Amino acid sequence: MQTLPKGGSFLFETTAPRNIFTPEDFDDEHKLIAETVTHFLAEYVFSRMEEIDAKKEGLMRELLVEAGKLGLLGADIPEQYDGTETDEICTTIIAEKVGATGSFAIAHGGHTGIGNLPIVYFGNEAQKAAYLPAIVTADKISAYALTEPGSGSDALSATSKATLSTDGKHYILNGSKTFISNAGIADIFIVYAKIDGDKFSAFIVDGHSEGLTTGAEEHKMGLKGSSTRSVFFDNVNVPVENLLYEAGKGHVVAFNILNIGRHKIAANAVGAAKLALDESARYANERKQFKVSIARFGLIKEKLAEMAIRTFAAESAVYRTGGLLNDMMHSLDRSGPDGGRITAKGIEEYALECSMEKVFASEAEAFVVDEGVQIHGGYGYIAEYPIERLYRDARVRRIFEGTNEINRNLISTTLIRRAAKRALPLMDAVSSVRSRLTTGIPVRKDAGDLVQATKDAFLFTLGIATDTFGDELLKQQEILGRLADMALLAYAMESAWCRAQKAVMNGQSGAKHKENMANAFIYTTVEKVILAAKEALANLAAGDELVKMQANVAMIFQYTPVDIIALRREIAGEISEAGKYIA
Amino acid sequence: MKILVCIKQVPDMESKFKVAASGKWYDTADLAWRMNEYDEYAVEQAVQVKEQVGDADLTVLCIGGERVKETMKKALAMGCDRGVHVADDKAAEKEPFEIAGIIAEFARDKQFDLIFTGMQSQDRGSAQVGVLTAEMLGIPSISTIVQFAYADGRIETRRELEGGVKSIVKAAAPALVTCQLGLNTPRYPTLPNIMKAKKKELLSLPVADLLKVDARQETGKMYFPVKKGGGLVLEGEIGQLVDQLIQILKEKTGVLA
Repeated sequence: MQTLPKGGSFLFETTAPRNIFTPEDFDDEHKLIAETVTHFLAEYVFSRMEEIDAKKEGLMRELLVEAGKLGLLGADIPEQYDGTETDEICTTIIAEKVGATGSFAIAHGGHTGIGNLPIVYFGNEAQKAAYLPAIVTADKISAYALTEPGSGSDALSATSKATLSTDGKHYILNGSKTFISNAGIADIFIVYAKIDGDKFSAFIVDGHSEGLTTGAEEHKMGLKGSSTRSVFFDNVNVPVENLLYEAGKGHVVAFNILNIGRHKIAANAVGAAKLALDESARYANERKQFKVSIARFGLIKEKLAEMAIRTFAAESAVYRTGGLLNDMMHSLDRSGPDGGRITAKGIEEYALECSMEKVFASEAEAFVVDEGVQIHGGYGYIAEYPIERLYRDARVRRIFEGTNEINRNLISTTLIRRAAKRALPLMDAVSSVRSRLTTGIPVRKDAGDLVQATKDAFLFTLGIATDTFGDELLKQQEILGRLADMALLAYAMESAWCRAQKAVMNGQSGAKHKENMANAFIYTTVEKVILAAKEALANLAAGDELVKMQANVAMIFQYTPVDIIALRREIAGEISEAGKYIA
Repeated sequence: MKILVCIKQVPDMESKFKVAASGKWYDTADLAWRMNEYDEYAVEQAVQVKEQVGDADLTVLCIGGERVKETMKKALAMGCDRGVHVADDKAAEKEPFEIAGIIAEFARDKQFDLIFTGMQSQDRGSAQVGVLTAEMLGIPSISTIVQFAYADGRIETRRELEGGVKSIVKAAAPALVTCQLGLNTPRYPTLPNIMKAKKKELLSLPVADLLKVDARQETGKMYFPVKKGGGLVLEGEIGQLVDQLIQILKEKTGVLA
């Protein structure tokens, strides 16, 4: 096996297409699991969307129980606790497929992802044995309670308190949590609170405990079928054995779980984007104006194409990340009692990639659902059409699991910190770009070269930003945001590019279509990278110095544009002929 | 008890089909593949019998290239115990007598008590393989079944006749049945069973070892049906309509000739 790439190393290393995982690499089991999930959702979930979104009493639990019968709740849980330890690709496929369902995806994700992974990764033997088998069957439904009214992005400022009882047998929990998915149906809550007011810790709390109450259902913009409530703790007794991991180590649990949570959110976004495109492509074929289907109009073709292109890039980034997480898990010895923690630690290596794909995929989805409504015209604004729901359901994905702003900060600060610790030789890479700029960077010939140009631009800007601000750079959010944009766009571009190249090398059917999508994505996205670099540099320097920097940016991005209109027409042709997203 | 179920991998019927360059079959490029619908009923029924009797060994057989293993794994994940893959990249060129010959040759000395097949395949649609296989093995066959029960070495089935009529047909095992829509609702494999199926035996045999019969049919040509003209709605007075109709019948058909 190849050695695992370090998280973030793609920014200065060349990635060989054969080394990334792509959906074309699915094995028979992956395909069968995809088929099972598709069947399940069609039969049980999509057929009952109206009842689900009307929060029909007991329905969500019923659906989770059905999902449990097919093993769709235990994909992350070891076999000894009745789960089916599959691989990270399987769980990505499940997350992608359920993503299209909106509300059910949240109930499923709240239960299987963030709701049970804290126990899977950080629970002790007794905790796992007590809770996991019941989670696999949805006998007990779980929820993750981190956010508080006053602490969202600043999660560690939580004010919920846990105090050890005088007999030492219980923690007495007081405080409140807000926006808790599954709160109305949960039997188990993973709750974060500070022991003695300062040791941030995680607890497994029985949802039926005395003193635990939930508020009214929130009336949300979207995801209307998923239960979202506040949860209140009024002297709730939590047995000491329900402390998860170690006292004062709640942040380790919380943040590591969020990495996988972000990966799954990104997969959710891809699934929803695909459905939005499917609906839009079909509608465009059926809807006739001026006696022809609107799919034949140039501006509609551009929309369909761009929706497909961004979905393709997001899908490529998500499965590439799934592959990285999978390789990481397989490289670890997770057999011991500490296996879960070892896994979580391993996953942390790719925290950056998880944040990048989450930001990129949720924003790609936002674009896709928005254009989807536009293609539907007035009908897109009517609740009868699924695109209306997809539009509303998509919005929160840029907010939860860390807002995209927090994730952008995280991406840049993590990179800068790893560079400072010399865990990543980013500064050497910066020097290398600088020296190449003095000897001259040749004209970029293809999309692959432009991926390299994007990385060069990131490194060049990072170098200037570090020179200008030093340690203060960590406080310059506007610069951090632009650096993060360049990095995450490089990741998405490279993922799309490598996937297309891999398909070409393997002589796969549809390789040309993939190459078209990768090319279109890269040639249009590179302009966003140039803008981000220019804006950042104009803030970092002025006068002659800035003139010189802009000349450097121009040198990094010497290329001839391609005929993007023709490319999009060709892509739209494939999509319209299939009447759905194809890659 | 030993049970055999025979399955075929066919293209997703929503695919866009093209005639292959040979002109004798469809082009297999760019197609998505799945289990023949009728074979899913066969697998489901076979698994139900196995669950009913408990002590049974269920083999799934499929003829085709490497690609068919994915479909076989689905059958294994649905509950078959072992798989026999008859490796044949040219399976699509074989006609029903040859396919039946291969299955019969494999099954001859294995003492299967029950053999399940689909009523027909969704792509070739000959509906001959099951009954031919039974004939070659010298066992009774019941085709197009929509109900099945097994007890004490005997089977009782309902088979579909024309006009919605059904007949009850009984036979003693060993016997072969071909399964029709309505027989059952095939389960889809659960995640744990998909993973367990990975560890089940899946044996590959070269087709040359089993093909002992010669073809009796030949595919002449494959082509799309000629596109028929659209319907014509005549409007106007009854008398005029009749005249118009007679005129059309005379000009465009031979019915009044």
